[in-house]
Amino acid sequence: MKNLLRIPYFFIYLFFISTTTFADIQFSGFASINAGKVLSGTGVPHYDVEPTFLADYPLVSAYGEEVDFKPETLMGIQIKSDLTEGLSVTAQIVARGANDFDATFEWLYASYEVNDSWTIQAGKKRLPLFYYSDFFDVGYAYVWMRPPADNYTWQIFNYTGVNALYTGEVGDWSISGNIYGGEEDDPNNKLLGDFFFFETTREVWTNIIGGVFQMSKDWFELRVTHMMFDNERFRSGERVLFSGKMQQESKFYGVAANFDFGELFILTEVNRLDTEDVFDTRMISAGYRMDTITPFIAYSEFETDDVVDGENHDTTSIGLRWDFHDSAAFKIQYDKVKDNSFELAVAGDSKSLTIGIDVVF
Amino acid sequence: MKSSIKYMTSILLVLFSFSCFAEIVVIVHPSNASSLDAKSIQRMFLGKSKSYSDGKKVVAINQKKKSDITKDFAKKVLKKSASQLKAYWSKLIFTGKGTPPKEVSTDAEVIELVATNPNIIGYINASSVTDKVKVAGKF
Repeated sequence: MKNLLRIPYFFIYLFFISTTTFADIQFSGFASINAGKVLSGTGVPHYDVEPTFLADYPLVSAYGEEVDFKPETLMGIQIKSDLTEGLSVTAQIVARGANDFDATFEWLYASYEVNDSWTIQAGKKRLPLFYYSDFFDVGYAYVWMRPPADNYTWQIFNYTGVNALYTGEVGDWSISGNIYGGEEDDPNNKLLGDFFFFETTREVWTNIIGGVFQMSKDWFELRVTHMMFDNERFRSGERVLFSGKMQQESKFYGVAANFDFGELFILTEVNRLDTEDVFDTRMISAGYRMDTITPFIAYSEFETDDVVDGENHDTTSIGLRWDFHDSAAFKIQYDKVKDNSFELAVAGDSKSLTIGIDVVF
Repeated sequence: MKSSIKYMTSILLVLFSFSCFAEIVVIVHPSNASSLDAKSIQRMFLGKSKSYSDGKKVVAINQKKKSDITKDFAKKVLKKSASQLKAYWSKLIFTGKGTPPKEVSTDAEVIELVATNPNIIGYINASSVTDKVKVAGKF
């Protein structure tokens, strides 16, 4: 009993030592203040969906016909504590308008630099499915208002597990990559619940195992990724069977290639999710940097393979990024969405305008 | 009115020529015999390259973000504008993939650090160079 009591004191003691003596704590953060509205849209009359622009699927950032600041406005604070000798702990707290500004820990992980090439991380992190997944919330880091929505549609976007990160060089090429494994259990999945099943949906991804390989040189960058996971789902507490089975094995594939010639840049990405059905997404975007002004265009699409009237939508976007300040960018974007499915219509056709400011600090 | 325009123009011209012709030198410890070219220096300051050709660990040091030399260095050596560089680092900082080089305020501080630590690489105005450090590149 005595020994048990001593343990907490020991930790408290350690805590004080680390905060007062050793720990180097860094705060940094990002914020996006965005507003937008649907200029015209069909909605989905047979599902009672009003004219809507679904700017972001996993978080359900949905704009309607009235000007709305909430869907994509967010703020994140990152706290990194460097415990020396390669060990650090990082937390990222994000408050999103889409979730009524409830601040939650979206990232929380310990990181250990084994050597110059390898770092091991464990905890809660973003699932690195897409090129932009990892820094999806940091609008300042990319040109658009948001990564093209048709590409970034998957309902699970964080995981808890272990990640091994590699960086290195081969000749003139910079190489990086990671291998990760873990799981995610979302008791009330917003996308599936709000837009697909209209009932509380628990979405579970287990046995997640994946890898990312990235290489870059001068103006070219290539990213290849693959992930496998088992999917279980409960609608209103009832287990969903996938072709009679309790879980479905799913596979994700992605390739992104970026070409940056200084002023002109072209960004491309194709992805496939092979689950009960096969879903393909792709996007292409181009921009041109003119000092602080960067106009851009983008096209993205989502389609279900070999299914009559499967989920199918595309978005054509045009916009502008203006770096009016060292730490802030103003953006404006026009999006034209075509929702081509009847049975699996998501939000209908829409034309919409969004503007916003992204900052990092 | 006319004279104030002239005055402004000459100030602008001086500022302009200063930022265009000020030469930047990249400095390392005198004992550092690694071969360094513009590409390898670029990669070191972008956190892509972590060791010198002799295997020693690289510790890059930046000057203050707002200073002219930092902006000049970013443009000439890193080939990025200040906001592109900021976007580049925010992508790494918020994904746990990298940390930007630490910043100091003056050429003298950079020289002091480089002179006392063989791992450090920094940049200063060519006119500030002393014999305590070795010039590894001119831009």
